[in-house]
Amino acid sequence: MIQIEELVRFCRALRESGIHVTPAEVITAATVFQVIDTSDRDEVFLSLRSVLATSVDDFPAFAELFDEFWSQSPRKLVERDVITRNAPAKGAKGLAFFLEHWANSLRADGKPINVPGASDTESGAEKDFSAFTNEELEEISRLARRVVKRLASKPSRRWRPVRRGHKVNLRRSLRLSLKTGGELIDLAYKQRRPKRTRLFVICDVSGSMDLYSRLLLQFVYGLQNSFARVESFVFATSLSRITGELKNKTYQRALDRLSASIHGWSGGTRIGASLAAFNAQWLRRIDKRTIVIILSDGWDTGEPEQLAAALSLLKARAGRLIWLNPLLGNTTYQPATRGMQAALPLIDVFAPAHDLASLRALEPHLVL
Amino acid sequence: MREEVKQIQRLLEEQIYIADAAVATALYLSMALGKPLLIEGPAGVGKTEIAKALANALGARLIRLQCYEGLDTTTALYEWNYPKQLLHLKLEESSPASEAEKEAAIFSESFLLKRPLLQAITEHERAPVLLIDEIDRSDEEFEAFLLEVLSDFQVTIPEIGTIKATHRPHVVLTSNRSRDLSDALRRRCLYHWIDYPSAEKELEIVRARVPAIEAGLAARVTSVMQATRTMSLSKIPGVAETLDWANALVALQATELNSEIIAETIGCFLKDEADIASFRAELDVGRFEG
Repeated sequence: MIQIEELVRFCRALRESGIHVTPAEVITAATVFQVIDTSDRDEVFLSLRSVLATSVDDFPAFAELFDEFWSQSPRKLVERDVITRNAPAKGAKGLAFFLEHWANSLRADGKPINVPGASDTESGAEKDFSAFTNEELEEISRLARRVVKRLASKPSRRWRPVRRGHKVNLRRSLRLSLKTGGELIDLAYKQRRPKRTRLFVICDVSGSMDLYSRLLLQFVYGLQNSFARVESFVFATSLSRITGELKNKTYQRALDRLSASIHGWSGGTRIGASLAAFNAQWLRRIDKRTIVIILSDGWDTGEPEQLAAALSLLKARAGRLIWLNPLLGNTTYQPATRGMQAALPLIDVFAPAHDLASLRALEPHLVL
Repeated sequence: MREEVKQIQRLLEEQIYIADAAVATALYLSMALGKPLLIEGPAGVGKTEIAKALANALGARLIRLQCYEGLDTTTALYEWNYPKQLLHLKLEESSPASEAEKEAAIFSESFLLKRPLLQAITEHERAPVLLIDEIDRSDEEFEAFLLEVLSDFQVTIPEIGTIKATHRPHVVLTSNRSRDLSDALRRRCLYHWIDYPSAEKELEIVRARVPAIEAGLAARVTSVMQATRTMSLSKIPGVAETLDWANALVALQATELNSEIIAETIGCFLKDEADIASFRAELDVGRFEG
């Protein structure tokens, strides 16, 4: 038999392992016990899961915790969980590495780190991402918000009333007609609300992108938080969806959540495999009103055929396929890697993304 | 297991819906606690079927709201019947009624077109089953509005006033996960996930829904479908496709499933050209032999 105190402890353990449980849900869970057979372990499991897990993504963690909860002391479980969460990921490369060194990664002397896309001038717009200050990071967020505003400029199926238009708003017109004894003299109009474009951003965070991923993620964060219809992903050797992690009030907290959920990444890149994984789950959500942006330098350790196959599927469905390559900022760079060669014929827009000016130049491409 | 859960399972089976303990428990809790049930899962696994089977089992009316992008309150909740209003005003042109009286007349319940949500709230006989299908296809604004309706089952129409549900409808929401639903909506609902069925369960479904099919053929159909789902396809076939295929095979009076018949009927379960090509390649090397 389960007591309320046990249930509360269980919910606390769920919270510790990342399943967000609100007090209201705890109350619902408590009510559940009054209407189910609490001696049937399966029924308790299924019932609690349907109340406390709000997505199938929570199922594995829930099942694990449920099993542990019923076989060992819950207090111990909570403590153990806290310890693992606080333990830093050791020896991780790529995104994890940059996340850990996020705060102190800006060079003290302010000199740009030497990278292929580095520019000679010191003006903010052209300065390479690798030498950015905190104020300039804020500028990136502002830019992302501006870009996002452009996304909402086409008519949708929703209506809104306007002074003059092509479609008569019957509801308002009828109301107006009452003043003139039921005669329709003054017509009210309506027009379509702006249509919204969806955005899928897939960001390469492998070792070779280290210098850029910090800033590009800031851009992705900006996009994500000013516009509900952005889905974000990161990949090195495998793909992770980070939409949920980025939805946070401050970038720092978003980064904290991100690093907690994806440590232990390796430095290699498998673009083709990652995009294939993306397609397997998300391709059917891509349509002609979707823009797909891939942020990567094109250094792929996998087979170029796989990359080409994945990209052609994407191209067939997406409204626009954009590949942003920070290396393109260097005038001497040639997209000669096998991966890039395979990808080029399938991309609608191939553009640099190594500084603010290049992100600004992106704006017109984000309107379908 | 609680007797009510077993009973729900039995009732659904009478409706030829093969329900496992998880589904039955979720439905039972949804009814016992009066909370909406959110069902997620890939396309074609029978999410919508649950609501239909539930309505039939309860002998309740099924009210369905199909969501799409741009769905708004005039399609989901209510709309005024403008032609009728205009006609009424014309007929009453010479009547001595004041403007206010005329307004009250044309904005009354008899001029109201009830859309699914209002229908569900004003159903007088018994609690209906309200199916809000593919909620992920509606936009965020509509979701927020829906949340309001689902929390107190009452609707305020400015001209008429507040209408409160006589019977709390049994609400089932389905989602293909094409976008993230808001946390608020998720928390308001009980949650259930349906995945592609196991081989045993799928065979059971085929035998139940296509009774004319031979036992051996049904087993073959199921095993081919299970193998197909392990391939990397752009659109993985669901149970609906399995049933379409089984029905087609019965109509063609097929008794066994050889490569030839499979090749002729691929279109029943694969709807994408690239998928069909990669399936054919596997078929040619004998992957789907019995």
